[in-house]
Amino acid sequence: MTEAVKSLRQTPLPQDPRETGQQLRPGLWETVNQRYPGSMITKADYVPLARLAKPLSQARVTLISSCGVHAKTDPPMDVCHPFGDFTFRRVPSAARHADLIIHQLKYPHDDADEDINVIFPIERLQELATEGTIGGLTRNFFSFIGYNMDSARFERTVAADIARAVSEEEHADVALLAPA
Amino acid sequence: MGLIQRAVEARGVPTVSVTVARDVTEKIKAPRALFMPWPMGHHFGAPFHTVLQRRVVMEALQLVQTAETSGTIATLPVKWAEVRREAKFLTEQGKRL
Repeated sequence: MTEAVKSLRQTPLPQDPRETGQQLRPGLWETVNQRYPGSMITKADYVPLARLAKPLSQARVTLISSCGVHAKTDPPMDVCHPFGDFTFRRVPSAARHADLIIHQLKYPHDDADEDINVIFPIERLQELATEGTIGGLTRNFFSFIGYNMDSARFERTVAADIARAVSEEEHADVALLAPA
Repeated sequence: MGLIQRAVEARGVPTVSVTVARDVTEKIKAPRALFMPWPMGHHFGAPFHTVLQRRVVMEALQLVQTAETSGTIATLPVKWAEVRREAKFLTEQGKRL
């Protein structure tokens, strides 16, 4: 056995993150920012926590996701525009998987096409509301595409508009977010 | 996504996100998050594994009540290898959990 082979055999194999429970794509922020410079941002401060003043069994829950799901009767978001699409869609919380479709290219959604709940757990939330574990659901949930090259514009438009709708139109007590 | 979470929280509505990219969530300083060591597009697990999907949803919602400081990131120690094994079994059996 040559020294090179001996040395290789002594080098421990990298651990498989699927078996160790670590982030499957480490350094995602860096790699995405290299590919799309300026798309990934940092914030210097923490937002003070809002408090839930009631038990979950009385709380109205909303769902917000960047997975790009929308009702089949609504137009899809623009997944080809180089700067992204700065609009969002309301998704009726009473919708079933058959009413919805995902239109987004930036993450694998083959499994979500089989069962939307792996990224947009709308049917699990409906069940929790029906059995009374949570107080209810807002009339609409929210969806957009998580590819936007102008974070300041995104904060002024999509983020501000969804936040306003969640609190003033839907009167949500809790928001569950799924960043696809 | 973190920008929306911060905007909603700032309006007085408590938020929690389910993330598979812990580093991104840390940099944007999301108010509360549940980190799952799973692939993109699979934040709530595998197709038709309703028990697991429900567990992730409930763990996340409970974090709204238990997190004491902004920036809290909890994790659910379920490895993706386990999820795949269970999902493969479900697919083979043509079953739902």
